[in-house]
Amino acid sequence: MARRGRFRPRRVPSRTGDRNVTGILVLQSVISGLMIGAIYGLLGVGFSLVWGAMKVINIAHAAFAVLGAYLAYFLLKAFGVDPVLGFFVILPFLFFGGMVVYRFLIFPVMRARDIVVSSMVLTFGCAIVIENFISLIGSPDPRVFTTRYTGRAFFLGPFAFQWPQTVGALMALAGMAVLYVFLKKTHTGKALRASWQQPEAARLYGINLRRISMIAFGLAVASAGLGGIAMGFVYSFDPHTHNLWLIYIFLVVILGGVGNVLGTALAGLLIGLLNGLSLAFFPYQWVNVITFGMLILILLVRPAGLFRSEV
Amino acid sequence: MKPYLKSLLFLAVAGAFALPWLSPPVYFVSLLFVVFMYVVLAESWVLIGGFAGYLSFGHGAFLGIGAYTTALLMNHFHLSPLYVLVSALPAGAAAACVAAVIGYPALRLRGPYFALITLCFAFVMELAVKNLDFLGGPEGLWLKAMGIEVGLARGIFFEVMLVLMLVTVLVVRRVESSRFGAGLKAIKEDEEVAQTLCVDTPRVKLSAFILSAFFPGVAGGLYAYYLSYIHPETVFNIDISILIVLMALFGGGSSYVGPIVGAISLSLVNELLSAFLKAEYARVIYGLLFVVLILYLPDGVISFFRGRKSGAG
Repeated sequence: MARRGRFRPRRVPSRTGDRNVTGILVLQSVISGLMIGAIYGLLGVGFSLVWGAMKVINIAHAAFAVLGAYLAYFLLKAFGVDPVLGFFVILPFLFFGGMVVYRFLIFPVMRARDIVVSSMVLTFGCAIVIENFISLIGSPDPRVFTTRYTGRAFFLGPFAFQWPQTVGALMALAGMAVLYVFLKKTHTGKALRASWQQPEAARLYGINLRRISMIAFGLAVASAGLGGIAMGFVYSFDPHTHNLWLIYIFLVVILGGVGNVLGTALAGLLIGLLNGLSLAFFPYQWVNVITFGMLILILLVRPAGLFRSEV
Repeated sequence: MKPYLKSLLFLAVAGAFALPWLSPPVYFVSLLFVVFMYVVLAESWVLIGGFAGYLSFGHGAFLGIGAYTTALLMNHFHLSPLYVLVSALPAGAAAACVAAVIGYPALRLRGPYFALITLCFAFVMELAVKNLDFLGGPEGLWLKAMGIEVGLARGIFFEVMLVLMLVTVLVVRRVESSRFGAGLKAIKEDEEVAQTLCVDTPRVKLSAFILSAFFPGVAGGLYAYYLSYIHPETVFNIDISILIVLMALFGGGSSYVGPIVGAISLSLVNELLSAFLKAEYARVIYGLLFVVLILYLPDGVISFFRGRKSGAG
């Protein structure tokens, strides 16, 4: 499962080489790692929201992300709409699509005895359907956003910032900020957090759990779409990419602690950072081995995540 | 079991044993070989995933470990065709050893965390094998041809896999009605309570995990000979791991019958769909199958028949 990235940080030529250059290269890979990390963080936050609030493990989360990326891609190809603007066009579709999926697929399963297993099988089925629906409409070859600023970069001091990557990272940061404000400040967000901590008590206070969960699921799907578009700026995507993205989402969410939004965001940055650094020091094909090995270690040592759990 | 069902079952097994010698189309023999393999995989998965409720999403890795062990044994010790079949057993032992090492720490985790760690284990295995040169790396490994005629060799493998399948089913059936099986089911219901009732939960879980890794290892050994060329993406493929879980849950994971039904029906459905429809349509229907199943028969296909008989799901 090699990741097909257009941009791969160069390997550090040699440890004995010019120390200054090596240092800059390492910092450069830290920067691009953090940018990817922000996107992982955004994808993780939506996943974590659903897992925490309704105990549903949404295997199709990354598939929704790929769907978002594809919709933006088609808008770009057909009408020349920039993917950033394109997101606002597809946002309502994803949001309502997510609510419909919740109402007709997830909600009936919520009564099942073993919600985790049932929801995993169910959303796995959804992921297969979405994946093949995309390859039916488009074709299964890898795509990439080609915008006006593709291949352009700007410099801050000695560090190069690629425009597409920067745009993707900024989108991810904005998405995370919006989700954070929603959860902490709005009435619906507070109700969601309440129903997540104490479902019975929340219901006693007159919170309509079904409505709240529906909105949360819609939001999660929409944020997945945004994350997918942001990923599309950095890596190429094809209908099958969601499998690898899903593993990264899991990694981020486990590391950050399920249901912990800030923790998930931080975990995303951390994973991106480690990824960038291991790209700089190890051969490319070992990077995923290192990442997954790390996940195993984290699970064994601190299964509740690295950060204090806080809803 | 009703007498007529028993005799029907006996006839089916006898027919399966006779099949390769009746010169059927090679396609059927190959298809059934793979179906039997999936029955072995799903059936042994049920020990840990179905009875104990620990969803292992990495069982495909044991198939791959078995396949690679066999390939290495064959290429380094130049085994003759007769020993070849026997040497699938060390492959199973190797898978069981790995299961012991992985299972000891991993089985302390519960629920989704256990599922995730086994999934990662499968991923790491695939990637690591792909990058290790003495295992053939990304080029895979060739096994030496057995030196007997192809049709005959296929027939032999078919029979051996059939025997393995029967053994696995009988073992799982035996476990289900034993004290050991009762312990596993107690763990699924409530692990703390099981522990207070003197079930040595860590030991029971670990032995179930090791036993459930042994059979896929043996199956992997046979599969490696059968393919005669193994590649990380064919034997360590993560899709196999996920398919095993889906097959077991599709049929119903709480008894030994479920995975048989699930593995046979899902492989046949998959085969039929991809034979008659465009690949994407076939996969969409395949995906919808899971959605419909969970919505209408959340306890697996066999609950449909059970529900009719006892009047309650």
